[in-house]
Amino acid sequence: MQLLQAERDALLKPLATVTGIVERRHTLPILSNVLIQKSGDMLTCTGTDLEIQIAATQSEGFSGSDFAITVSAKKFSDILRAIPDKSVVTLEENESRLTVKAGKSRFALQTLPAGDFPTLSVDTSLKATVRMAQGQLKALLGRVQYAMAHQDIRYYLNGLFLVTEGNLLKLVATDGHRLGFASTELPTSFDKNEVILPRKTILELYKLLQDVDDEVTIDIASNQVKFSFGNVVIHSKVVDGKFPDYNRVIPQNNDKLLSIERTLLLAALQRAAILSNEKFRGVRVVLTDGVIKILCNNNEQEEAQEEVEVAYTGAPLDIGFNIQYLLDVLTNSQVENLNFAFGDVNSSVLVTIPDNEHFKYIVMPMRI
Amino acid sequence: METGRKIIHIDCDCFYAAVEMRDRPELRDVPLAIGGRADQRGVISTCNYVARRYGIHSAMPTSRALRLCPTLTLLPHSFERYRDASRRVHAIFKGYTAHIQPLSLDEAYLDVSDSAHCKGSATLIAAEIRDRIRQEVGITASAGIAPNKLLAKIASDWNKPDGQFVIRPQDVADFMPELAIAKLWGIGRVTAERLARHGLVSCGDAQTWPLQRLVAEFGNLGASLYRQCRGIDERPVHNDGVRKSLSVETTYVEDLPDLPACAAALAPLYDDLVARLTGHDGELMPHKAVVKIKYRDFTQTTIECVCREPRGDVYQALLERAWPRGAKPVRLLGVGVRFADLPAPQGDSLPLW
Repeated sequence: MQLLQAERDALLKPLATVTGIVERRHTLPILSNVLIQKSGDMLTCTGTDLEIQIAATQSEGFSGSDFAITVSAKKFSDILRAIPDKSVVTLEENESRLTVKAGKSRFALQTLPAGDFPTLSVDTSLKATVRMAQGQLKALLGRVQYAMAHQDIRYYLNGLFLVTEGNLLKLVATDGHRLGFASTELPTSFDKNEVILPRKTILELYKLLQDVDDEVTIDIASNQVKFSFGNVVIHSKVVDGKFPDYNRVIPQNNDKLLSIERTLLLAALQRAAILSNEKFRGVRVVLTDGVIKILCNNNEQEEAQEEVEVAYTGAPLDIGFNIQYLLDVLTNSQVENLNFAFGDVNSSVLVTIPDNEHFKYIVMPMRI
Repeated sequence: METGRKIIHIDCDCFYAAVEMRDRPELRDVPLAIGGRADQRGVISTCNYVARRYGIHSAMPTSRALRLCPTLTLLPHSFERYRDASRRVHAIFKGYTAHIQPLSLDEAYLDVSDSAHCKGSATLIAAEIRDRIRQEVGITASAGIAPNKLLAKIASDWNKPDGQFVIRPQDVADFMPELAIAKLWGIGRVTAERLARHGLVSCGDAQTWPLQRLVAEFGNLGASLYRQCRGIDERPVHNDGVRKSLSVETTYVEDLPDLPACAAALAPLYDDLVARLTGHDGELMPHKAVVKIKYRDFTQTTIECVCREPRGDVYQALLERAWPRGAKPVRLLGVGVRFADLPAPQGDSLPLW
């Protein structure tokens, strides 16, 4: 029975949007599949890993009767990618197999019943709905998401802390040694809501958001957050846990202040990093009158030294950092200058954007 | 090559039984075993040397042990007392070196290469440790002293119980050829039989095979065999024994007849696992979920999958896939996790909190 006939891209676009989260090998075989549903002239692809669910819709005036089927996400998207674009693809279902035809190619794929596909039950205890431009959220995420922990035993750090408070939306990410904070003003005011979103959700969201002014809607419920933008809807569970108090680690009394051209410092650090220890990634930062000196050495006793002139007149300081932590903030802050506020050799450094209250990045030093 | 390390392997003699005999001296001269009850399909954990004369050994089903020795005194485990004894033994070790790798409650490797005790003599250190265990804990221990872990472990078995044996670096070349290959690390009964079919029974036999031939025939095992049969073992003594896995299992008093019965039995087992996972203190991330099934006829199968967050439904799914392999009544179910290798260190950056 013929299900559908469409141009390749009309199928591939929604499919590619959801395949990112689909695990290739899973104990529940259906989780390696994508749910393909046609309803009226709309085609919806849905993928899930039981934590996140992404649905992408394509309205292309599809004809024919409605259907729902699940098929291996990887194989189906590999097939579609491999056939020439502009090809007309026909989907047929015969005895629980999906036949994909294009030109002289023909593939018969196993299917599993659409009724068995697990969809997240929607949490209806809606607490807040935040609206903003997609590009604005993407930029905000870009400023902090790299600071999330990865596979940390403190599972609540493997994600992003999202807070609404008054007319502010705040995002916080930390791996326990460095912390990124970014906020933005919202047109309306909210009660205080706090959720931790899983790392995978954030990476996928960041990937799928476009740098455009079109709106993204964030529906925050007790146990679930929904992001809707363009043709995409992401439902994500939230991480159950208590995020550490980020306010407590923002240094208040750091007195060694300097402002530096971001790209200058970035280039100097990137060069020095060539000779940093691959395992510990340590860098020495030496502050003296008018100069910031960067020193790296590796196991083979090779050394790199960089100097950048800065307007600095405070007390001297010789302090160590994980160079990656510094590179991260320099790479991901698309601004001309950054302010650094150092304390003593055992205190964190605070990185901010000049005349901007909405961004803070804190790095703890390492002993070198 | 070996660079003059001094390793001691200390193994308490029939540890659980020794603790019981210390606390109840009247049990010293009767056959005694610690283990689960025969009517509950228990197995023997440890037995004393009197019981061993009847042919009883650890891991033997209790029912069989009782057939071999109807007068056997069988005691249930009292782990609190064993742990207490173990802690006191461990405290004695700590007086001699910080390089201690515990293998179980009653067994450990000590690296005393840099120890200044007893004028640096590992033999004297071992004798002193055994003496103190006898006096302070009230049980006996055996020790092996050798240039590496492999030989130390073999040596501790040599004069058991209540004895010790030294393999000096210059003795290794003479000692190895006579040694049965089955004594080596990683050689169980099945592997030993396989090696014997190739004429490899003693380490001397294996020494006649060139490395290429061993590897061609036995793969990685061959490479390990090539080194082990010459008494070479460079594995360090790890003092931070990193746990690789955690699991719980139950032998059922009555066989679980079918898959639904197994599925029902899985839930309490899973709860136990979760309780133990939350209780354990390591900074470890689960990496794989494992289900083990032992059927009525003692055949067994295990299945595992990559999974960061071991949830109940993952174990159910694994069970559903594994059970049909035997499709027989089940006497034992086990569930567990394997932990991921520790993530790369983040340098020594100080913590924010």
